[in-house]
Amino acid sequence: MSNRIITYTEAIKEATDQIMEVDQEVVIMGLEVSYKNGADGTTAGLKEKYPYRIIETPQSENAVTGMAVGAAITGLHPIVHHGRVEFALFAADQIFTQAAKWNYMFGGGHPVPIVFRINVGRQWGQGPQHTQALYPLFGNALGLKVVIPSTPSMAKGLLISAVRDKNPVIILEPRWLFSLKQIVSIEPYDKPLDKAVVVKKGTDLTIVSYGDGLIAAYEALGLIDGYVDVELIDLVSINPIDYETVLKSVEKTGRLITIDTTNHAFSIGSDVIAYVAKQQSLSLKNAPVSLSCPDVPVPTSTMLTESYYPTKVDIANAALCLMGKQTIKHELTFEELHLPPNLIIE
Amino acid sequence: MLLGAYKKMFLIRTVEEQIASYYLKNKIMSLVHLCIGQEAVAVGVCDALHKDDRVVGNHRSHGHYLAKGGNLKKMVCELFGKEYGSSHGKGGSMHLIDTSVNFIGSTPILSSAVPLSCGSAFEQMYHKKSAITVVFMGDGAFEEGGVYESLNLAALLKLPLLFVLENNLRSINTRLWERRSSYHDTEKIVTGFGVQYMRSDGNDYLDVVTKVRELITKVRTGKPALIECLTYRHMAHSGPSFEEETREEDMIEQRKEKDSVARMRRETLASGVSEDEINTTEEDIKKIVIDAIVFAEKAPFPRKESLYADLYV
Repeated sequence: MSNRIITYTEAIKEATDQIMEVDQEVVIMGLEVSYKNGADGTTAGLKEKYPYRIIETPQSENAVTGMAVGAAITGLHPIVHHGRVEFALFAADQIFTQAAKWNYMFGGGHPVPIVFRINVGRQWGQGPQHTQALYPLFGNALGLKVVIPSTPSMAKGLLISAVRDKNPVIILEPRWLFSLKQIVSIEPYDKPLDKAVVVKKGTDLTIVSYGDGLIAAYEALGLIDGYVDVELIDLVSINPIDYETVLKSVEKTGRLITIDTTNHAFSIGSDVIAYVAKQQSLSLKNAPVSLSCPDVPVPTSTMLTESYYPTKVDIANAALCLMGKQTIKHELTFEELHLPPNLIIE
Repeated sequence: MLLGAYKKMFLIRTVEEQIASYYLKNKIMSLVHLCIGQEAVAVGVCDALHKDDRVVGNHRSHGHYLAKGGNLKKMVCELFGKEYGSSHGKGGSMHLIDTSVNFIGSTPILSSAVPLSCGSAFEQMYHKKSAITVVFMGDGAFEEGGVYESLNLAALLKLPLLFVLENNLRSINTRLWERRSSYHDTEKIVTGFGVQYMRSDGNDYLDVVTKVRELITKVRTGKPALIECLTYRHMAHSGPSFEEETREEDMIEQRKEKDSVARMRRETLASGVSEDEINTTEEDIKKIVIDAIVFAEKAPFPRKESLYADLYV
């Protein structure tokens, strides 16, 4: 049996285990990574298998992250886990100023082979300080490679690539996707860290997204099948952005929708639109459309979050509008609005 | 033995005096933080180390780099922004590195080096190496949270790590007693985390080297330690100024009276080395320094295209 259906978190654990088996320099550092269901199950059982390589740490994100960076500089391949991006910000100096600049500031030849696994984004009941995604912050940081796995299969392949890479790689894992399922190869494999993926080919318009926004767009396809032929692109990497793949698609379709699950200012979508807008050779059929979140923090009450994130219906209607077609009415259930998608991705 | 240490201290002093002069002529366009006055700490600590022990430095690390055996010409070239520099001109004075002597990098944001040094020590422990890591920080850095987190981490994981706290009484211009309550007790803080503590006269090479040797034997067995070295920074936080107008407590006379290099010279003489031998040694060192400066002035700048190189490995 080489393929079976597993979840996003199981895919991360499998990749971690497989890379640790072959690379003795890989160590994991983080809070509760040695616990039975540690790091949302992504390190479950690894402490028993690798007792000296799963490092339980104090609640000291700055020093722990710095220790991992220092270990990477001197030859180890650490994976640091931050369960919430807000806590990773305690280590901002070590991520943005030390790891990201180390090779450049010493004129090259000084690799920092470290992986930061950082959980981000929406989750019911978590409110303004537990649900930030901060994609633009990481996208703007020179010297980091930043990827966002949108599916279990990407989560596995990108983690393996990240550990093999000699540069600091940030994997922003949208918590919203943790229970997503997909057929994933049991064999170890890698996925390019800097290449966007055309998830579905199409001719009418291009939708560009990543992470949970990509999954909402994927679900929207089912609502407009037969009405709009969408080309769906998963950016995968937001640092650097694979503009070439986007441009190739928009040259063909002439229409662009971007989806962010953060507010619009300095967002990934606005960057992609700006890039496309600068292309002299390109004549768009319509002005690009950006779907994103309102310019307020994420509140807690479901009444207030109901209209916060772009939904599959919003995306479907944006596509229909752009094609001059009648929009649809579709009542979303409470589960669809507020609970993580329990989907099996093809 | 003393002559060897004096040579290193005199080299650091001479290099920095030259750096000051070229900085004022706008020949060195890299912000410099001079360690004039603090040479006994750098040399005292590094003389107690083995070659495979690692050192992590900070913004004021010309002395640490040279004391660990870092390449002089590469350092001077780096300050002049030249391709031959230790960071090929991208780093400057605040980003020195010479991994061939295990000076694994200096990084200037206060206290950043401290968590990084935990990682180096972790790697040494992980691979069961006998070598240790040493990190230098100032009294300003000792007020950053990362240091306390690191003291806890080092004690918890039993890291082979020596923290060197160079207390020069000043963080930029602020004085120690403006920044700490009268109850502040460094020894209690450090030992409270389970890290060994010793205090030394940072203007006295022999006191530093003796105490570091004593501490290091335990550090090698996984018992981290901190040594606080009380010293003076003769010049401004950055740039070559003696700040005669702003300092009140330690006027130039006091600084000179306790000067570590002058003291070391006296002690070297007292140990039986002749005045002639010291004079000859000093002239030799001055020549080496001038050679390095001349070399750096003539050395080529990096190619403009290298601006875009090295963002990634």
